[in-house]
Amino acid sequence: MHNRFLKQFKLNKIGMSGLIIFLFLLLLAIFAPVIAPYDPWDYSFEYLLPPSIDHLLGTNDIGYDLFSELLWSLRTSILFGVSVGAIASTIGLLIGVSAAISGGLYDIIVMRIADALLAIPTIMVLILIAAYFKPSTIVLIIALSLIIWQTIARGARAQTLSLKSKLHIKAARNMGASTSYIIFKHILPELFPLFAMGFVTKVRIAVFMEAGLSFLGIFDPTSKSLGIMMNYAMRYLYLDVWYNWLLPTVLSLSMLIISLALISYAIEEIFDPRLRRDNIA
Amino acid sequence: MKQENAHSIRIYLRYIFNKYILSKRWVKIAPVYLMTVFILLFLNFLLPRLLPGDVIIAMYSGQELLITDELYNELIVLHGLDKPLIEQFCIYITQLAHGDLGYSYISHASTTDLIMNALPWTLLLVFSSFILSSIAGIILGVESSWRRGGRFDRSLLMIMLFIDGIPSLALGIMFLTVFSLYCGWFPTAGALTPYSDTTGIAYIIDVLWHLILPLGALTLSQIPGDYLLIRNSMLLTIREPFVLTARAKGIKERRIKYLHTARNAILPFFTRIGIRVVYVITGVLFIETIFAYPGLGLLTYEAISNRDLPLMQGIFTISVLLVLVVNILVDISYKKIDPRIEYA
Repeated sequence: MHNRFLKQFKLNKIGMSGLIIFLFLLLLAIFAPVIAPYDPWDYSFEYLLPPSIDHLLGTNDIGYDLFSELLWSLRTSILFGVSVGAIASTIGLLIGVSAAISGGLYDIIVMRIADALLAIPTIMVLILIAAYFKPSTIVLIIALSLIIWQTIARGARAQTLSLKSKLHIKAARNMGASTSYIIFKHILPELFPLFAMGFVTKVRIAVFMEAGLSFLGIFDPTSKSLGIMMNYAMRYLYLDVWYNWLLPTVLSLSMLIISLALISYAIEEIFDPRLRRDNIA
Repeated sequence: MKQENAHSIRIYLRYIFNKYILSKRWVKIAPVYLMTVFILLFLNFLLPRLLPGDVIIAMYSGQELLITDELYNELIVLHGLDKPLIEQFCIYITQLAHGDLGYSYISHASTTDLIMNALPWTLLLVFSSFILSSIAGIILGVESSWRRGGRFDRSLLMIMLFIDGIPSLALGIMFLTVFSLYCGWFPTAGALTPYSDTTGIAYIIDVLWHLILPLGALTLSQIPGDYLLIRNSMLLTIREPFVLTARAKGIKERRIKYLHTARNAILPFFTRIGIRVVYVITGVLFIETIFAYPGLGLLTYEAISNRDLPLMQGIFTISVLLVLVVNILVDISYKKIDPRIEYA
């Protein structure tokens, strides 16, 4: 199934356009130190300069080069998003598969926790945690991962349960395959699309949360973040800086999240063939 | 004989247990609510007390708040911090049960009062955007799925995926910049014109005038989610045999579309209301902050900038309770909406 999944993804126009935008932004973020013309923490320039050849997007209120700052902020966003996505979807997969395999009390407790987490506004939890601990980014990455794994766990559990009763797994078990062999050889490969879907959705949530929380002033104000840039740009809106300060920031954040939304929609469409657009019943 | 009796009684008891207790929906749902309340208490009560260092310093070390010895002792007595943890917990629960969410020493006001002043504005925003986005999402989703694969469907899907990608934060900023600052059509901040003392119809118009932009941004950010949900659900329902039957009976197209298909496709929409409320709460936080709309979202922002932890905890409690109430309402009305649902 997972081989066919990759092939189908290549044929999906929505998914591929999303992937191309994301890879473009990813490259910008990875090579930010090379591409950025100046050090983003260098405030030796004149402040509030309009865009020019020297400063592609001008400078901000204390003399940072906005283009360099934007690239570094993109780096923060993507790093935060991808780490949360990887951690959260791995936790979700582990919990979902283990709950389905072991069953019993463990299954019940873990799944009730998952349901309860669904009813807790994630952002409020993060705000509280940030206020208590004044945490580093890594702590926030782990905290966010620990509260958004539930949807993946539910999906993984449901699919593992249905796989468990399939004939080929019963056959494998009768031939003497161990539980770990069955999990690694038969169950995990089948869960790949679910994992990919979960990963992309969680990256998306994390990118949004990072920008949102830094906009609200949770993070260290000297760090580089799209949310912080937006917050400061909003304060200087009366100076007509929207086109070189606010707009690029808002657009990069939107492009990043749009690309992820397109990818996740494409995966969902491949995952559930009944949803396909060309599929007229 | 006696043994047989005991056996049949046991079977009968198990039957009663299964029929009247285990099959009830609340048996499955109550643990979830308990767990939610536990997480709430953990974050509000236990976590600050588990932190290394002093609870008072952790909770009240606001930038503008000077903790004098007098205030320190007052706070110790208020929270019973000199007593064992169990007793502290009892004090906390008692205060919560009396609707006392704490005291904000930074704003010099009861947290409950601050929240109750802000709550109506947030509810107005959340409730109206919820209704509007649901209506728009349902209509667009139904029409789009009915023309699946066609030009209308494909372009609407692309537009919706794009809007879906724009975070509510960015959407709010765009609305504010374009419609308030650039065009100057709408006010940039607040929920009422300050010091205007209007009453009657003028008051309502003033409220609506300030409501339009935040409401528009919030609604637009919610529509794609509703649209995608309805569209997907419609695509699955359209293939059901009863739609074919309805068509064979010669029922009018619009009737089949809305009264037969959409009516069934809408069900997952209701079950997800509880989850969607969480999204709206997240959205409203940013939208209110951007438009300086005096609701819970703006209050949260102020609490963050002042490091006002009692206020943050209060808002957290209220938002979790709000989600729980909505979830309970959905659970209660579940059977009315979909009588086929099995509770076992």
